[in-house]
This record gives sequence, structure tokens and C-alpha cells, in this order.
Amino acid sequence: MSALASRELGALATLYDRYGRLAYSLAYRILGESEGAEDVVQDAFLSAWRGAASYRPDRGNPRSWLLSIVHHRAVDILRRKTTFRPAPLEAAELQPANEDTAASAERNVEDRTVREALDALPQAQRRTIELAYFGGYTHVELSELMGVPLGTVKGRMRIGLQKMRRSLEHMR
Amino acid sequence: MTEHVLDDLEAYALGALTRTDAERVASHLAVCDSCRAEAMSLGEIVGVLPESVPLREPSPALRERVLAAARGEVPARRSRPAWSVGRIRPWPIITAVLAAGVIVLGAANVDANRQLRAVTAERDASGTTIEAIREGARTWYMAGKESFSGSGGTLYDPHADGKQPFVLFHDLPAIPPGKVLTIWLVSAGSAWARAANFVPDGRDVQVVPISLEVAGFDRCAVTMEDAPWGPRYGAVVMESRIAPPATAP
Repeated sequence: MSALASRELGALATLYDRYGRLAYSLAYRILGESEGAEDVVQDAFLSAWRGAASYRPDRGNPRSWLLSIVHHRAVDILRRKTTFRPAPLEAAELQPANEDTAASAERNVEDRTVREALDALPQAQRRTIELAYFGGYTHVELSELMGVPLGTVKGRMRIGLQKMRRSLEHMR
Repeated sequence: MTEHVLDDLEAYALGALTRTDAERVASHLAVCDSCRAEAMSLGEIVGVLPESVPLREPSPALRERVLAAARGEVPARRSRPAWSVGRIRPWPIITAVLAAGVIVLGAANVDANRQLRAVTAERDASGTTIEAIREGARTWYMAGKESFSGSGGTLYDPHADGKQPFVLFHDLPAIPPGKVLTIWLVSAGSAWARAANFVPDGRDVQVVPISLEVAGFDRCAVTMEDAPWGPRYGAVVMESRIAPPATAP
């Protein structure tokens, strides 16, 4: 990261080689289309390039930092595209969350572990977490969308994340 | 201390709060060790969610686009063509740059001579800027406030299709380590969209491409932030209204 902060292009290339594919996959998962996803990835890497001096290791590793930027950018675009109104639940769920592509077969053990931990959640908890994180919905929108009280949405998020934490600790 | 925010931390970690609620939670986290520790723990769990996503390959050209944009040689948007500067004769165009700068800055009552010197100093590094201005651009000047007094930035929205908007800053002061300057475009409904992050590079003039279309926004602003993502927290250090385009007869 210090090399990136020093504006060394080689450091940016290394960062891209290491995380570019995952960053694109995340952006594509959120936006559901390749052109917008590539724009987000490009913007995110440029943000990292320009803002590397502001990177703080105590707030996460470079991978988490970069993917946070990708996530925020992609969700911002998604929310602006839908003018902050939730799309139909069915449409959100049709996004390629669970598709079994050839590329997915290449995943390493850690990736599969996370997928398994997510899949192991009760459907309501998994759906709440996925729609919040990948669908860009606020908890209030999810309450309306799913027809449950706000407290139920919060509870599903809380219990779901707690279970994921335990699953990952157990699996790793 | 403000009220604890444990009830909202999961939604905060997932990015599922409104901007207002996220700001409230972030303000509390800044002063509460216990809530901050829980938020970081939740953030670690949420941080692995990208690993659950089916992997996809971006186009092979994306890597070079990222690196080229970092070099400042091409615009940052995928769908736009690279800007050619090969046939440009520099001095007539620099004259156009200076004229545009003087017009804009004169309207904003800023020292034109200082800006003229600054724009001249930028000439070797801003071929894209020069070409954009040669072909015409709508411009708005943001004057620096308080600790940024004396600095400023002109937002250029080139007329030509495929040209990326950018901000030409001058006389930016150094900012504290760990901070970043953020350019925002603000809608009529007061939604703040992050258009670019950058750190002053110490030169008289600095060109920062922005990643959003200007059309549809009412205001541009610059703030100093702790992080290059998330909602706006910092105070506005410069801003300008963005006039709507002229209506065709």
C-alpha cells in the first residue's frame, strides 16, 4: 500500500492482478451487467490509486478496503438507477446470485466455505442479508418489500450474521 | 455520549441504512469504543460476503484501462473513447485554456493572473484538458472557503460526446495525512453522489477526472473526508451551483 500511496503504477497493477477479478465479480453481482460493473471496478481502482494515502490498516486489509469501495460505488449506482425505490423482489432475486458457472468451479476452499456458510442459513435470513448487501436495499425498504416489521428485518440480519460468524469459525 | 447504536450495527455493516441513519451511527462509533469494536467485528463477517459471489472474468482490456487512466492518459469511463492529443498544436490551445480560465474565474471574482500562471504550469500534463476546452465545455467555478480560501476549482463538462468531465483545481493546500478530498455532485433532492476522491499533489494546478455525468445534478462540492467511500461526513470546502443547460429553441 505504501508503494500505491507513492503513485507507483506497478503497485496498482499488482493490486489489480490480485483483486480485479473478485472486484468485478462483486460489481457484476450487484449491478447485473458487465459494462456498469467494469466502470465501477475502474472507478474503484482509481479511487484506491488516488486515495491510498488515506488507507488505514486498522480499518481492514487492502482487499477489504478495495471491495468496500466497489460495494459502495455499485450500490450507489444501483440506488440512483432505481431512484431509491425498491425493485420488485422477484427481479432482485433473479440477479445471478447462485448461478453455477464454470468459473465458480475454480473457486478455492475459502470461497466455498463462505458460500456454504451463507447457504446454511435459513432462507429468510439469507435472503435478508443478500438483498441488503447485494441488492442495495435499506432495512426499511426490506421491511416493506418482505412485508415484515422492521424489527424482524434487524433480527434476521443479526442472527444471520451471528450464525455466519460461528460457521466460519467452525469451518476454518 | 450519544445513545448506543447496537440495534443498527448489522444494517450499518451491510450498508443497509439510509444516509441519515448511517451518519448517526458513524458519529456514535467515533466516540464509543464498545460499539466500534462490535461494528468492526460485524464488518469482518460482512467483508467475506464477496467471496460467495460467482467469479467472472472482466474483459482483458479493463486492466489496461485502469492503468492508463491512472497515468492520466485516457478518461476513466469504459464506454468512452480515448482522447487523442497527437495532432494538437499546444500553444493555440493553451491560449484557449487561458481564455476559458480567465472568463470563468473573472466571473467568480478570482485573481486571474494567478490562475493564468497556474493553468500555464499545467500545460505539459493536461493534454486532455486542453482538448476538452478547445472543443468547448460548460464550466462552473468553485471558490475555496475558510482554510481553502485562495484555492478553487473549475468543473468542466465538455460539449463533445465521449469526453469526461473533470475539475481543474488551483492552489490547493496540503491536507492532513489520512484525509482525502472528495468531489460530490448533488441532486435537487440533496442526494450526494461521490464523483471522485483525490489528494492534493502539491502542484499549482491539479486535474481530477470525475466518474459521473454532470447532467441531472444541481450542485458540485468538495469536502475533506476520512475515507474515499461512504456518505459525506466532512465540511464543504468549496462548492458551486450547476446551471441547467440552455433549452433548445
